[in-house]
Amino acid sequence: MSVNTWLATGNFNTTYKQEQKTFFTSLDRSVFTFFLLILFIWPLIFPLSNKYMLVIDNVLIAIVAVMGLNLVTGFAGLISIGHAAFVGIGAYTVASFCRTIGDTHVIITHFWPVMIILSGLVGAAFGGLIGLPALRLKHLYLAIATLSFQMIFQWVINFMSFFNQGQTISVGRVFWFTGKIGRKDHYLFWYFIILTVVVLLGFGIRNLLKTRYGRCLVAVRDNDRAADAMGMNPGLTKVYAFALAGFFAGVAGALHAYLYRGVGFESFTLHESIGYLAMAIVGGLGTLNGSFWGPVAIKYLDLGVENLSEILGHYTPGMNLATALKPFTFGLVIVLFLMFEPRGIANWWRIIKSYTKLWPFRY
Amino acid sequence: MSYFFQLVVSGIVVGSIYALAALGLVLVYKSSRVLNVAHGQLIAAGAFITYALTVMVGIPIFFSFIASMIITFFIGMLVERVFLRRLIGEPIISVIMVTIGLGSILDGLIYLTPFGTENFSFPAFLPQEPIALGGVSISWTQLVGVIITFLLIGGFSWFFKKSTVGISMRAVSDDQFGSMSVGISVPKVFGLAWATAGLSAAAAGCIIGNITGLNFDTLHAFGIVVLPVVILGGLDSILGAVVAGIIMGLIQQFASGYLDGNWGLNGTGEVLPYIILLFILLFKPHGLFGIHEIERV
Repeated sequence: MSVNTWLATGNFNTTYKQEQKTFFTSLDRSVFTFFLLILFIWPLIFPLSNKYMLVIDNVLIAIVAVMGLNLVTGFAGLISIGHAAFVGIGAYTVASFCRTIGDTHVIITHFWPVMIILSGLVGAAFGGLIGLPALRLKHLYLAIATLSFQMIFQWVINFMSFFNQGQTISVGRVFWFTGKIGRKDHYLFWYFIILTVVVLLGFGIRNLLKTRYGRCLVAVRDNDRAADAMGMNPGLTKVYAFALAGFFAGVAGALHAYLYRGVGFESFTLHESIGYLAMAIVGGLGTLNGSFWGPVAIKYLDLGVENLSEILGHYTPGMNLATALKPFTFGLVIVLFLMFEPRGIANWWRIIKSYTKLWPFRY
Repeated sequence: MSYFFQLVVSGIVVGSIYALAALGLVLVYKSSRVLNVAHGQLIAAGAFITYALTVMVGIPIFFSFIASMIITFFIGMLVERVFLRRLIGEPIISVIMVTIGLGSILDGLIYLTPFGTENFSFPAFLPQEPIALGGVSISWTQLVGVIITFLLIGGFSWFFKKSTVGISMRAVSDDQFGSMSVGISVPKVFGLAWATAGLSAAAAGCIIGNITGLNFDTLHAFGIVVLPVVILGGLDSILGAVVAGIIMGLIQQFASGYLDGNWGLNGTGEVLPYIILLFILLFKPHGLFGIHEIERV
C-alpha cells in the first residue's frame, strides 16, 4: 500500500489494483464503518413514530431508484423521463404474483428477498427493451421515447383488469426468522432491509464505475463517436445502462410494494418520474453521493412544505395551500439549483471535504 | 360513412389545435434549441388572462384576446431573460429540467388563484347551433378556431420565411457564432423567440378554452400531449408541426371512435399517439421533417 495513509496531498496510485480499491486509506474505512454502524443503531436508541419512519423509508427507496436514474442520466447521459414506470414495473411484478397466487402465499411472505431480486430482473429486462431505441435515437428524441414508455405504462395499468385498473393491490405481511412482522415493527423492519439494500447497491455502483464498463459509460456520455472509434460499443453500453437503471428501479419498486403492503397506480405517474429527475439533479448528476443527497433534500422539502402549509392553513380557511405550495417550491428548488449550483449538493459536499482536509490553509 | 367523415372533421379540429400548441415549442426550439415543457402552463395562463379580461374586467372578447397575447408576449420574454439566459450552453438535461421547474412554479402560482381548481367557460359569442353538411357537423367555435389557427400558422411561417427578424432567428438556429459576426444580437433573438412562443400560447389557450372549456388540468396537459406531436414533426419544422398535429389528431379521433368500446378497450386515443410515435422514431429518428444533424467528433 501507499505510504501516504492520509492521502491528503495527492493521489499516488501506481497500479490499477490500487486505483480500484473502495477505500483508499484505513481512516476512510473506519469512518465509513462507524457511520454505517450509527445508521443501523440509531432507530433502536431513539425510536421514531411510524409516520416519520415511513418518511425515512421512503427516502431510502427513492435513493435506490435515483441511484439507477443517476447511472443512466448522470453517467451515461441518456435522459430518462420514464423512471417511475420502471419502478412501477418492479412493484407490479410483486403485485402480479399477489394477484395470481394470493397475497399471503408463502412465496410472497417468506421468500421476499427472492421476489425483490426477481422484480429487479424484470425491471432490467424492461429497461433493456426500452433502451433499444437508444441505439438510434439521441438527446431529446430519446427523452420523448422514454416519456412514451411512461405513458404506455400508465395506460396499461389503468386499462387492464389484471392490474385492478390501477386500484390498490394488496401485498401480504412478510415473515422474518422471529415470525410475522407486525404492524408496530413493520416500518422499522423495512428500514433495516432497505438500508441494507442501499448499502449493497451503493457499493455495487461504486465498484461498477471503476470497471471497464463504468469507464465506457462516461466515455459514451462525453462523446459516443469518439468512444466508438476507441473500440467501445456505444449502442450496447447505452442499452446496458438502461437495463441497469431498470434493475435498480425494479428493486425500488418491489421494496415500495412491500413497504406500503400494496401497489397503487398513483405512485408511478409522470409526476413521480419528474420527481426522480429532480432528485438526481438536486443531488448532483453524475456523482454517486448525489444520489443520496437528492432524495433526502427533496423529500425533506416536501415534508417541510406540508407542515408549513398546515400551519398557514389556519390563516387562510377554505383553501388548500399544499396543492399550490408544493409544486411552487418544488419548481423553485429545481430552477434555483440549475441556475446557481448545477452540480448539485454533491458539489457542496466536495467543497466541505476539501475545506476540512486543507484547514487551516485556504488551498 | 358519415361517421367516418365526422371523425375526419373532428380529427382535423383537434389536430389543428395540436399544431397551434406545437407551434410555440417549435418556435423556441428552432432558435434556441430548448424544449419548453412549460408550454402547457403558458397556454393555461393565456386562456385565464383572456377569461379574466373578458368576464371580470368586461372587455370585448376580441380585444381581450389581443391583450392577453400581448401580456403573454412579455411573460415569455421575462421567462427567457430570468431563467433561460443563464443556461445558454448548458447540457440538454439542465435546460429541460429548468422548463419543467418553471412549469411547476407556474402550476403553483395558478393553483393560488381560483382558476387552478374550478371550471369556467368563455361566454358564447358565436352562433350555438352547429353547421351541418351532409351528416357531418362542426360547431361554429371549432370552425372559427381552425380558421384562426391556420391564419396564425400561415402568419408565423411567413414571418420566418420572409421578415428580417424571422430570417435572423433562423440564422441564429443555424450558427450562433456566424450570426453574431454579421451583427445579429443572439440574446435578443432568444428573447423574441420566447416572446412569440408566449404569444402563440395565448392564442392556443383562447382557442382551446373556447372549444373545450377552461379547466386547468386539461389546459396544462397540452404541454405534455403536444410533445409527441413536435417530436413526430421533427422539432424544428413548422410544416412538420402542422402535419404531425393533424396526423396525431386523426389518429386520436379514429382510435377513440373505432377502438374504444370494442374488445374491452378504453382510452386508446390517449396512448396510441405514443405507440405510433415510438414506431415512427425507429425508422425516422429525427421525426418526419426534422433536420438530420451531422455530428463530428
